[in-house]
Amino acid sequence: MDFVILSLVMLAIGIYGLLTHRQLLKVFISIELIATAATLNFVMLASSAGQGLGQAFLILAFSTDTAISALILALLVIVTKKYGTSNINEILKMQEKGESEAEA
Amino acid sequence: MILEILSVGLIISACLALFLDEVIHSVAALSGTFLFTALLYYVNGAIYAGIFQFAVGVGTLAILFLSGEMLSSKSIKKTSPRKSLALVGTGFVLSLPAIFLSVSGPSGTFSDVSFGDALWNYNGLDVVLQALVILTVALGIAIVLYERRNGGK
Repeated sequence: MDFVILSLVMLAIGIYGLLTHRQLLKVFISIELIATAATLNFVMLASSAGQGLGQAFLILAFSTDTAISALILALLVIVTKKYGTSNINEILKMQEKGESEAEA
Repeated sequence: MILEILSVGLIISACLALFLDEVIHSVAALSGTFLFTALLYYVNGAIYAGIFQFAVGVGTLAILFLSGEMLSSKSIKKTSPRKSLALVGTGFVLSLPAIFLSVSGPSGTFSDVSFGDALWNYNGLDVVLQALVILTVALGIAIVLYERRNGGK
């Protein structure tokens, strides 16, 4: 059982989701998976070596993770209220349409 | 054996969280990911990490359920049972390397550091600065809300 490979698989799933999904909530879930993979690697390595240091750093990492989550959710709410959708492709199309109308 | 079962559950729930069509189902699967991660920490001896992961996961999931319910469109097609089964199978296959392979690295000699020592003696300054940052953010939000309320009158 190797936790490095487990966290690598989690990281790969998160990055794949980040690259392929267009829904902002799915993008957010991908980022959560990447953060979970990073903390999993850190804590399991430290606790396997009998160190409490990994858990202490995890608490610091959680605050960063929570701040990122809050920021992304705020952006998600703003974008969805402004454009009426959370699909990145549709938002980009609306932006391009707005720019071309402004130029005309 | 229990670590292997938790690892398989972790990868399967991560796959389901990403690839299920309905947002609410994805968030439910993500709750499984957080739960399995917390259990992995707990079983491996990182008890505090497990408790913190569980607490933070519950908070994140509550917000995600609310925002997922509010912001997702209702006309999304439902995931077929066949696709769900395929996702579970994919997750199982993806978790096999973690069970059967291993990475060898340099083995060092580690001195035991307890959680309390690590938190206060090694990272005391970090913890205090982090508390200051959180306090600043909370004050900032309070000021913004106060200004908005006064501006609205």
